[in-house]
Amino acid sequence: MTELGLRVAITLTQISVIVGIVIITVLLLTLAERKVLGWMQDRMGPMEVGPYGSLQPFADAIKLFFKEDIVPAGANKFLFTAAPLLALIPAFIGFAVIPWGPDLTWEFGGLSIKPFVISDINIGILYILAFASLGAYGIILGGWASNSKYSLLGGLRSAAQIISYELNVGLAIVGVLILSGSLSLVHITNAQAGGFWNWNAFAFPAPQIFALVVYVISTVAETNRVPFDLPEAESELVAGFFTEYSGLRFAFFYLAEYANMVLVSCVASAMFLGGWNAPYPGTLLSLIGLPSLAWIENTMWFAFKTYSFLFLFFWLRATLPRLRYDQLMRFGWKVLLPIALANIVVTSIAVFIAQQLK
Amino acid sequence: MTTPSATPTRLNLREWLKTITFYEIFVGMKATLMHLLQYKPVTLQYPHEKRTLPDNYRGMLALLRYDDGTEKCVGCDLCEAACPSRVIRVVSAEVPGEPTKRYSKEYYMDMTRCLFCGMCVDACPVDALGMTREFEWAVYDKRQLHLNKQQLLAIGDRSFPVREKRLEFQHPNTAFFNVAFKHVPPKPD
Repeated sequence: MTELGLRVAITLTQISVIVGIVIITVLLLTLAERKVLGWMQDRMGPMEVGPYGSLQPFADAIKLFFKEDIVPAGANKFLFTAAPLLALIPAFIGFAVIPWGPDLTWEFGGLSIKPFVISDINIGILYILAFASLGAYGIILGGWASNSKYSLLGGLRSAAQIISYELNVGLAIVGVLILSGSLSLVHITNAQAGGFWNWNAFAFPAPQIFALVVYVISTVAETNRVPFDLPEAESELVAGFFTEYSGLRFAFFYLAEYANMVLVSCVASAMFLGGWNAPYPGTLLSLIGLPSLAWIENTMWFAFKTYSFLFLFFWLRATLPRLRYDQLMRFGWKVLLPIALANIVVTSIAVFIAQQLK
Repeated sequence: MTTPSATPTRLNLREWLKTITFYEIFVGMKATLMHLLQYKPVTLQYPHEKRTLPDNYRGMLALLRYDDGTEKCVGCDLCEAACPSRVIRVVSAEVPGEPTKRYSKEYYMDMTRCLFCGMCVDACPVDALGMTREFEWAVYDKRQLHLNKQQLLAIGDRSFPVREKRLEFQHPNTAFFNVAFKHVPPKPD
C-alpha cells in the first residue's frame, strides 16, 4: 500500500513538473513569438510591461483571467464549455510519453523510477497521434457550439484541414517506425544514440529527411499556424473557431494551440533529430568525468532541438502569407501525400536490402 | 481568339528544381532572418520619446494677445468666413466706450470638426490666430473639444510667450498691410 502511495506521489510529482515546464514554455512562447515577429518586421514587439516587455505574458494572463466570461445567446452551453477543455487536455496529455532525457532508472525508496519520462508505453507515438486527433474535436465543437457563422466556418475548415494533414503526419512517421522497429518514443530515441549520423533524419540505410520536411509542414498545418492558419484567419473569419470565446475559455484555446506546438516540436526532435542525444557520440560531461550529470547535457540538447523547431514556426509565420483553401488541399493531397508514400516504399526496400546484406 | 499565354512552355529544369526545393520560400525566409540579425527597429516609443515636428507644423489653434495683455482679435469674422468646416463662430461687438473699435465678445471653436488647414490663420488681418505645436488633444468627452474664448486665449498664452507690440506702436507698413518690409527700418520706440 505504501509502495502504491509512493508510486502515485512520484508520478504526480513528475506530471506536475512537466505540466509546469510546458506552461512556462507556453508563457515564454507567447512573448517570444511577438518579439521575434516584431524583430523580423523591424518592430520592437511588446515593450511596456517590465523591462523590454518581459512581463507581458503575465499581464496577458491576468487580463484574460479577469475578463468577462460571455456565453453567446443561442450557444449550446454544455459543448461551449466542453470544447476548450477538449482542445486543452489532448494537447497536454501527449507529453506523458515524451522522453525528456536519457533512459535512466533511479532507485528511490525501494522503487525504480524513470525520471525523464512519465510513462514509457510501447505504443507511445500512436498514443500521441490518437490524442492529437481528439484535439480536433475541441476545435470543431467550439466552432459549432458558438452559434456563429464565423466560428462554424472556422471549425469546418479546421476539420477538413486537420483530417487531411494528420494523414501526412502519420505517413511521415511510418518511415521512422520501419527504421527503428518500435512505436515507443523511448526506444526510438535510444536507437538514435551515438552521433548525428545515427539520427533518423540522416540514418543509414534510408535517411528520413523528406519525411522530416513532410512532418514539419504537416504539423504546421495541424497546429493551425501561418501559413496554414485558415481556421482562424483574421482577415476572413475574425478569429475562426474561437471568435465567440472570451476570458478563461479563450485562454484555454490559446494555451492548447501553443501546447500543441510544443508537443509536435518535441515529437519531431524525438523522432527525427535524435531526441536528447547529442550530435556527437556520448556526452561532454561524462568525458570530463561527470557521468552522473550527463543528463543535464542531454536534456539541454532536447530543449535546444525543440526550441529550434518552435523558432522555425515563428520564422515561417513572419515570412509566408496564408494559402488559399484549394491550394492548401492540393498541397496536402497531391504533394505531401505522394512524398510520404514514396518515402515509406523507399525506406522499406532500403531496410530490407540492408537486412539481407547483413 | 488567341490567348497570349497559351503557348505550351517546355519543362524548364531550373524552374522545376526551384519549385521542388521551395527556393522562393527560402529567399523570403532569408530576408526575414536578415532583418532579425540586423535589427534596426523603426518604432518610436511614442509617449516616452517623440519625433521632432516640422517647422511649419499645424497644430492646435490659439488666440493671441499683444504684449500689454490685450486681445489681438478685432471681431472681423473673416476667420469664420474662411473656415471650410465651419469650426469657428464669432460674436462681434463694439468695445465699450470706444465706438470705433470692435472686439469679439464671444469666440467659439468646435475642434471636433477642425481639419487644421490653417486658412483662418491666413485670413486673419491682425494675426490674432496662431497654430501651436500641440497635438495631444485626446479627450474622454467630445464636448471638451468645444472651446470658448478663454480656453483659446489660454492655449495662446502657454504656446506663444513672446508677444508682439500693439499695432499702433509697430511700423506703419506692418500695421497696414500686416507684413514687414525688411528694407524699411523699423520705427524707433
